Amino acid sequence: MSDNNDIGLKIGDACFANPVFLASGPAGYGIEYANYLDITKVGGIVTKTISFEPRKGNPGVRLQETPSGLLNSIGLENVGAEYFFREKIPVLVSAGVKPVISVAAEDWGDYRKLIDFIARQENIEIIELNLSCPNVERGGMAVGSNPSLLGRYVRHAKDLLPRIAILAKLTPNVSDIARLALAAEEAGADGITAINTVIGMDIDISRAKPVFKRVRAGLSGPAIRPVALDAVWRIARTVDIPVIGVGGISSVDDALKFFMAGASGIQVGTALFYDPGLPARIIEKLEAGGIPPAIKYSVDKTERKDDDGTAPHNSST
Amino acid sequence: MSLEKKRPFTVRIVENRKLSPSTYLIILERPNDFPDPYPGQFISVRVNDQTVPLLRRPFGIMDINSETMTILVKAVGPGSTILASKAAGEQVEMAGPLGGMPFSRPGGKDVVFVGGGTGLGPIIFCARSWKREATVGKMHLFIGAQTKEELLEGLYEKDFDQVYTATIDGSSGHKGNIVELLEEEIEKGGIPAAILYSCGPRPMIRALIDRVGPKFENHYTSLESVMACSLGACRGCTVPVIEDGEKTLRSVCMEGTVFRAEDIDWEEWE
Ligand SMILES: Cc1cc2nc3c(=O)[nH]c(=O)nc-3n(C[C@H](O)[C@H](O)[C@H](O)COP(=O)(O)OP(=O)(O)OC[C@H]3O[C@@H](n4cnc5c(N)ncnc54)[C@H](O)[C@@H]3O)c2cc1C
Ligand SMILES: Cc1cc2nc3c(=O)[nH]c(=O)nc-3n(C[C@H](O)[C@H](O)[C@H](O)COP(=O)(O)O)c2cc1C
Ligand code: FES
Repeated sequence: MSDNNDIGLKIGDACFANPVFLASGPAGYGIEYANYLDITKVGGIVTKTISFEPRKGNPGVRLQETPSGLLNSIGLENVGAEYFFREKIPVLVSAGVKPVISVAAEDWGDYRKLIDFIARQENIEIIELNLSCPNVERGGMAVGSNPSLLGRYVRHAKDLLPRIAILAKLTPNVSDIARLALAAEEAGADGITAINTVIGMDIDISRAKPVFKRVRAGLSGPAIRPVALDAVWRIARTVDIPVIGVGGISSVDDALKFFMAGASGIQVGTALFYDPGLPARIIEKLEAGGIPPAIKYSVDKTERKDDDGTAPHNSST
Repeated sequence: MSLEKKRPFTVRIVENRKLSPSTYLIILERPNDFPDPYPGQFISVRVNDQTVPLLRRPFGIMDINSETMTILVKAVGPGSTILASKAAGEQVEMAGPLGGMPFSRPGGKDVVFVGGGTGLGPIIFCARSWKREATVGKMHLFIGAQTKEELLEGLYEKDFDQVYTATIDGSSGHKGNIVELLEEEIEKGGIPAAILYSCGPRPMIRALIDRVGPKFENHYTSLESVMACSLGACRGCTVPVIEDGEKTLRSVCMEGTVFRAEDIDWEEWE
């Protein structure tokens, strides 16, 4: 393989053999897909978001299909940090997988406990801060849509975990996602993951009631791909740290589009449910042809940072 | 080096037989390395290579031999209708066998099966496996449908010692629902204190628990829930249960599909 085709990725000090990851949530705790995909060959697996304490998640219906999409209201059900590091991580590590630990908190107090806890763990190279989940009452999007709060959370993690790379995962449910990305970068994030699910809802007409007990849910899958692609494009023009694109990738070509929009890596989420072989096919394509170059624009960095990102420069519409 | 693992499997449809206006018996070729399933396990089928419908659809295994496996498909919406319209020779992608908790063996005891809707397939599989293993006493089947055509008479009679049927429109067997019929038969004294196995819509299972549950030694039920991964990863298919007095959630795909009926937390689920 020539150097041109080196598809390795570095985020902070964390190195990955390739830039294809499994997304937090759909990938579970990482080993569930072992019969369907050689999990040691993906760049890394972003594990199901954990909180300090275990969470039961949301009651009622949790999944509803839409045209080319999936609404979910799982509500960050998870086993909690202690159990996760004791029971789940060793299995992943001994299976030869690089885990990216996804973390979330309900409030600042919880967050500090969680980050403290992670600081005491060994051999963790990278975490992804999920401050963007739409399916929880507290924490989640409330933090992730406020640049100064987001910055505070990122900076705290960075201060306590100086050797661990930090990815900030952003919500698209804001008016200017690039501004949040910039806030995360300025607070010391080593990379940006974009995007989490898009808020949606559905109604069960036979009962004249919303499908979900919490009414609103998170939309994922091919239906949100244009939203994710636009977010990645805007963020990549705004920050200098790597951007990991996620949202609706369901074919090799979709993945290539994210790299062309400026992503340094990608995550496969919902597509795992119906096509678990997809990450392997994307990796094979990248190994054969290298990472496609990002689309170039004739604007410089300062201009980009001032730009509100609402319209491409060469667009007449 | 290929990173592709051998599953999911791409399989050919060997035969698609229309059994009633909405139900199809679909025989799929069995891949060489498809593991032997347990009664209660299922496969999940990607009905086309598009993203509408997006998710794979789960179907209980009704029968299997070294060459083929059979599923019973009721066309109720887009996914099942696409699958039901496939002709012999076409291919589909599927994963399996899935499901972590199979129907526990009856250990020589008598069994009462109650099936409604698409619950018949897994029940036929149970009956056939247990008969082969000779680990079962007498097997009674209570099967209910909307109409005579949907009872699929002729498909299963030889697998059971006795078959009781009910239709909502009264076109065959007892007029009404299958739980009422079971209750009546118990009152008449014709049904043994056996193990109850059920598979079908939620209201049917709930009615079984309320109306005849205590008459049985144990009641195991195979539940349906909307599934995305079918592997225990996404936590989308959970049902609330009470175990040792503790409320918790169990995934139907990995910690089911079979549950002890009395463990289900109905208040929370509805
Ligand atoms: C473990 C299990 C075993 C099953 N076995 C059989 C069987 O042997 N034969 C049979 O005909 N049917 C079976 N079903 C039901 C079958 O999966 C649904 O009828 C089918 O998914 C409907 O899809 P649709 O697109 O035709 O209809 P839709 O209109 O999309 O859905 C109709 C209903 O089907 C259910 N459903 C839809 N998508 C899914 C999904 N991804 N996972 C689970 N349920 C879904 C929902 O309750 C929904 O309200 C089983 C379901 C489960 C969970
Ligand atoms: C069932 C489900 C559960 C999810 N859970 C999480 C989670 O725990 N943490 C998180 O950061 N994102 C979670 N997500 C969001 C995904 O990681 C991803 O950002 C989103 O689904 C968009 O990508 P996709 O369209 O490829 O799925 C979840 C998505 C789905 C569908
Ligand atoms: S369908 Fe994903 S956990 Fe059951």
